[in-house]
Amino acid sequence: MAEATKKDMPTETAENMVTLTINGRETTVPKGTTVLQAAKELGVHIPTFCWHPKLKPVGACRMCYVEVEKMPKLQVSCALEVMDGMVVHTDSDTVKQGRKAIIEFILLNHPLDCPTCDKGGECDLQNLTFAHGVDDSRFEFQKYRFVDEGMTTTFDDRRIGPEIILNRNRCILCYKCVRANKEAFGEYDLGVYERGSIAEINAAPGEQVDNPFSGNLVEICPVGALTNSDWRYKIRVWLTSTTPSICNYTSSGINTLFFKENHHNKIYRVTSRPSDDIDDGWLPDVTRYGYQIVNSPDRLTTPLVKKEGKQVEATWEEALEIIGKRFGEIKERLGGVCVGALVSPGLDNASLHAASRLMRVGFKSNNIDFRGDYRYLPESSESPFMRLCSRPFKIADIDDSDVIVTFGSDLIREHANEYLRIRKAFNFGNARIFAVNPYQTKSADVSSLELVYLPGTEESVVNGICLAAIEDNLVDAKRGEKFKLKTPTKSSAEAAKVSGVDRESLRTVAEALAEGKKITFFTGEIITRSRQRDLIASALINLHRLFGLKGRAQMSALARYANSKGAEKLGLLPNPRTVVVDKLRGLWGEYPESPARNTDAMMALIKKEEIKGFLILGSNPVMLYPDREFVKEGIEKLDFLVVADLFETETTELADVVLPLASWAEYEGYYVNLEGRTQKAARAVKPIGQAKPGYEIASLIGEALDPEMFQNEQQIHSEVRQLLELDSVIAYPDDFLEVKADTDGSQGDYNLPLYIIDDWHHSGHLTEKAPSLANFASEPYIEIPPQLASELKIAHGDSVRVESEVGKVILPARISEHTQNNVVLVPRNFSSSNVTSLLMRKKRVDRVKISKVDE
Amino acid sequence: MFYSPVITNAAEVASHKDLHLFKYVEDPKQHEIGTYQAHGGYKAWKKVLNGMTADQVTEEVKKSGLRGRGGAGFPTGMKWGFVPKASPKPRYLCCNADESEPGTCKDRVLMERDPHGVIEGMAIAAYAIGCHLMFIYIRGEFNHCRERMEQAMNEAYQHGHLGKNIHGSGYDLEMIVHTGGGAYICGEETALLNSVEGERGMSRMRPPFPAIEGLYACPTIVNNVESLASVPHIINRGADWYGSLGTEKSKGTKIFSLSGHVKRPGNYEVEMGFNLKKLIYDPAYGNGMLEDKKLKGVIPGGASTPFLTPDMIDVGLDYESLQTVGSMLGSGAVIVFNEDACIVWVIKKLIHFFRHESCGKCTPCREGTSWLEQMINRIESGEGQPGDIEKIEDVCGNILGRTICPLGDAAVMPIQSAIKHWRDEWQYHIDQKQCMVKTNFDFK
Repeated sequence: MAEATKKDMPTETAENMVTLTINGRETTVPKGTTVLQAAKELGVHIPTFCWHPKLKPVGACRMCYVEVEKMPKLQVSCALEVMDGMVVHTDSDTVKQGRKAIIEFILLNHPLDCPTCDKGGECDLQNLTFAHGVDDSRFEFQKYRFVDEGMTTTFDDRRIGPEIILNRNRCILCYKCVRANKEAFGEYDLGVYERGSIAEINAAPGEQVDNPFSGNLVEICPVGALTNSDWRYKIRVWLTSTTPSICNYTSSGINTLFFKENHHNKIYRVTSRPSDDIDDGWLPDVTRYGYQIVNSPDRLTTPLVKKEGKQVEATWEEALEIIGKRFGEIKERLGGVCVGALVSPGLDNASLHAASRLMRVGFKSNNIDFRGDYRYLPESSESPFMRLCSRPFKIADIDDSDVIVTFGSDLIREHANEYLRIRKAFNFGNARIFAVNPYQTKSADVSSLELVYLPGTEESVVNGICLAAIEDNLVDAKRGEKFKLKTPTKSSAEAAKVSGVDRESLRTVAEALAEGKKITFFTGEIITRSRQRDLIASALINLHRLFGLKGRAQMSALARYANSKGAEKLGLLPNPRTVVVDKLRGLWGEYPESPARNTDAMMALIKKEEIKGFLILGSNPVMLYPDREFVKEGIEKLDFLVVADLFETETTELADVVLPLASWAEYEGYYVNLEGRTQKAARAVKPIGQAKPGYEIASLIGEALDPEMFQNEQQIHSEVRQLLELDSVIAYPDDFLEVKADTDGSQGDYNLPLYIIDDWHHSGHLTEKAPSLANFASEPYIEIPPQLASELKIAHGDSVRVESEVGKVILPARISEHTQNNVVLVPRNFSSSNVTSLLMRKKRVDRVKISKVDE
Repeated sequence: MFYSPVITNAAEVASHKDLHLFKYVEDPKQHEIGTYQAHGGYKAWKKVLNGMTADQVTEEVKKSGLRGRGGAGFPTGMKWGFVPKASPKPRYLCCNADESEPGTCKDRVLMERDPHGVIEGMAIAAYAIGCHLMFIYIRGEFNHCRERMEQAMNEAYQHGHLGKNIHGSGYDLEMIVHTGGGAYICGEETALLNSVEGERGMSRMRPPFPAIEGLYACPTIVNNVESLASVPHIINRGADWYGSLGTEKSKGTKIFSLSGHVKRPGNYEVEMGFNLKKLIYDPAYGNGMLEDKKLKGVIPGGASTPFLTPDMIDVGLDYESLQTVGSMLGSGAVIVFNEDACIVWVIKKLIHFFRHESCGKCTPCREGTSWLEQMINRIESGEGQPGDIEKIEDVCGNILGRTICPLGDAAVMPIQSAIKHWRDEWQYHIDQKQCMVKTNFDFK
């Protein structure tokens, strides 16, 4: 578990310091520090069960007794604040006796099933019994047994969630799971029932423990009371070794630890590798269980080549020969500009850079992009939105922010880790928290105010906040005048009317922004996916200027994928920033002059048959690009398509050559998280079958085209390093930007806004292959607000026909809790949902109509 | 309406110049506001509203020497003074009416028969700490008390003693009657606050103390029913008068709930320092032992206090005197046992209660009480083993002073004293596999 660090303690100033003595050693620590923390700082170990560095202390287990001179009773150090002149003994005979008694009490009713318990070998109770307990029991009675009605054995295993199995007999009632669930995750699906010696942890009546952070409960259980089907009965912990890694599903760069067994070349589980700067030791379930795709039997293990219309297995030599020949022909006949590439932002720096070099040097083509699931991307890397993306952001700075605004982000579904940080600020700080979204989100539970705007009116919301501030003299009047020159919206009242947010709420946010001393303001996927992201970003840049946020706010559009930020910095865009282009030209001695195309433009050119050859590394645009017809029609017209991925996907189906891609666990890679922090994911296991990492594939393709194109790994790494050193922050413009509210009315029959989301337990297109995550959700669905459901007489589980102008799908209904705004949500993570076939790339907000399918 | 058939010394109190709490409890209409006001009710409240500052009220109560009647005996006025003056947060007052200590039934009588006295006391306390929303947390089983309190509260609202701008003073005060779910632990103040918040009734770590961070993390004062009911009298008759009653350090009067093997069990209001022997034997009170049998022992302050043996009962009933004989005043529940009571059986009943009521939060209490119960049951049923007594003593030592809240201490203190005073009886039970005394009483 994470060590308590100075960061969690109050700030150090002379009058805030307290000097005390622990075991004869003097130490000075900030006021408010607990004796336990102070001892830890000194390297004095005090045993605990119920204490957790990120939760409020409760002093329940009583294991952390210390003796304090002048205090008659033993004290629990986890909750005892230091006082000047305190003299503490952590190892006196009284303390030892006290601990021994606690171990004895805990063991009274604890089963001695260590040989069959999965916690054996890493069990706190086991360890502390060896360290502080006795080897005999004075308890001469039958141990208390929880037995379910109708059960004939005392074997108490109950599945309390899709993944979690509870054994109440092993539970020592430290309450860590219940506290973490409530405090750190805001979930109430687990509770304590009964009292006294028969008190028990259990799922709330009629509920399942299926929240998106539930895996943490298993990890923090000090004994084997909570286990998950992922790890249970598979292997003993001492047979595994660990490899540090990074989460590949979120952009936070959550630090993880692989537990693997080398003999079987298999990973058995993922746990946290606490990093106070990033994750506090909490993992979303998608991070914890997502590794399972690495072990999946469905993985591509050999290259496939299309022969007589069918993909058949081939060797790498055969595959590379075909690739070299076909790409060579296109390059020869039509020029490299007729080749394009799409790479996944989940790939490591080396793979991204190798792909960039392959395109720009090998093909002399500028057709490369990493954003395969967004429409109408900015052409320039200095567009308002790209500027917003480039702004610095520190996750840990959320903790002590006094104003936090999340804008257009269904937080838990896309930035779960940041949600937990905001929750931390909510628990331990005094932040005013605002959630601004087109529909009500679960993550708004920590918000002091939730603003729900009408879909597609983002810029009006921002303008409304600005105008309310000007009207109420919360900002500099002169700046206000200048702002008004660029904004056709007349008044906050007008903005309120357009956006559907009442003026009072707009003003409340304005007030907080005007007063805040440390502001965190970020936008999420609802903004990033919007066609009008640049317009919204302009409005936000204006807001930044109007409120004078410089120096007292971190404001950014958060990256979404594990290495989106790296791709941005390495220039995996059609038009990288000038510094990047200059650097690349310097490194390579050349840089293509050809026009640059982003994903949309490339698809359009494929349709026009101007791009004939295409390379896709790890992306699945057919499934994820928000206009399936558009992409599919295009890709089908290609002369030659090479796709590398972990699995067969909708996109690999259309490929001429399919290459098996190694997963992030199978090679050493570096990833840049949303803060711009570069972190290493070490290699845990050997690549499955003949799978190869992205950089090797790019390198081999280059070599197949032209032997001189071989890229050696060291060279790639050195170039990556130099690129990452470049300052990537783009300054805001010197004046207010024009922001004319864009309109997006309803479209006839199709007037129900549809948002594509990630399921609580999924991310991107691969996670449905992880059995544990599939246990949580394996089927697509449509989330319908309750009032709409009752109007249309749709009940939970009913089949619903969802139609847009271009497509139709049938999905089972889930009734959401959102009551404000009629908005439906569909997850994009299930290949069977076909959901992108409902979308049209030209739309700002996708709209559908729904009806119940009569059986 | 139903009255709890409890004997009180109301007649004596009515004619007494200083006793006051029980003055009108036998008046069948005392719970109605008209009667209460006719008896001088709400005078103190008006006096406070019309001419006293909050600090003056607190000072007066401080000066009176009133100490908490719930068991701990902490000075009430001093407690009020702990509420931080500068805190911008709202303050709360909780009247602790979760009376569940075995043997104690004094608050119930006050709430049933004189509910307005409780409300008036609460209102004055609320005023003293600057609180505008006060709660009374009534034990779940006290249905009748809840009805009476709710009725009285509604009457108080109707007569303008509660609500907005009370009697034109500009002071607002709202009241909520809240009932518990039937847990002894909720009488512990922090568990009570958790329960009001809708959480599990489990005690919290202290510090922070409720006066700094209590209900909803705001400054909160938790006072016992009897303490609050004394407050209007202090205001009416002055701190000096109140301070003149009782002993040097234990001021005022106190209600004792006398039960067990006496001829006249009941609730008796007496001055602090009243002689215990007199309480048991005086015809006006206990009127002697039932069937004139020999006295074996007395629990002087509720099930959680150590026993007194017959040679110790010539003692004053106040905080200090009882301490000198190794026990506590507690909630004032005097339980008397005669020579026929098997001490092992008595302890078995007590530990069963405490095991059942342990909340399960901290290890020593949760595991220890259940282990103790099993060991004591074994001895009582004649299956005790040599060494059991020492083991019980050792386990008691591992619980005493090592738990979050006093429930752990409460569970082991009577056991420790029972072993101390009647060790031979325990040993006899183990060796002879039967009770040393002839008959067992069956408490109904």
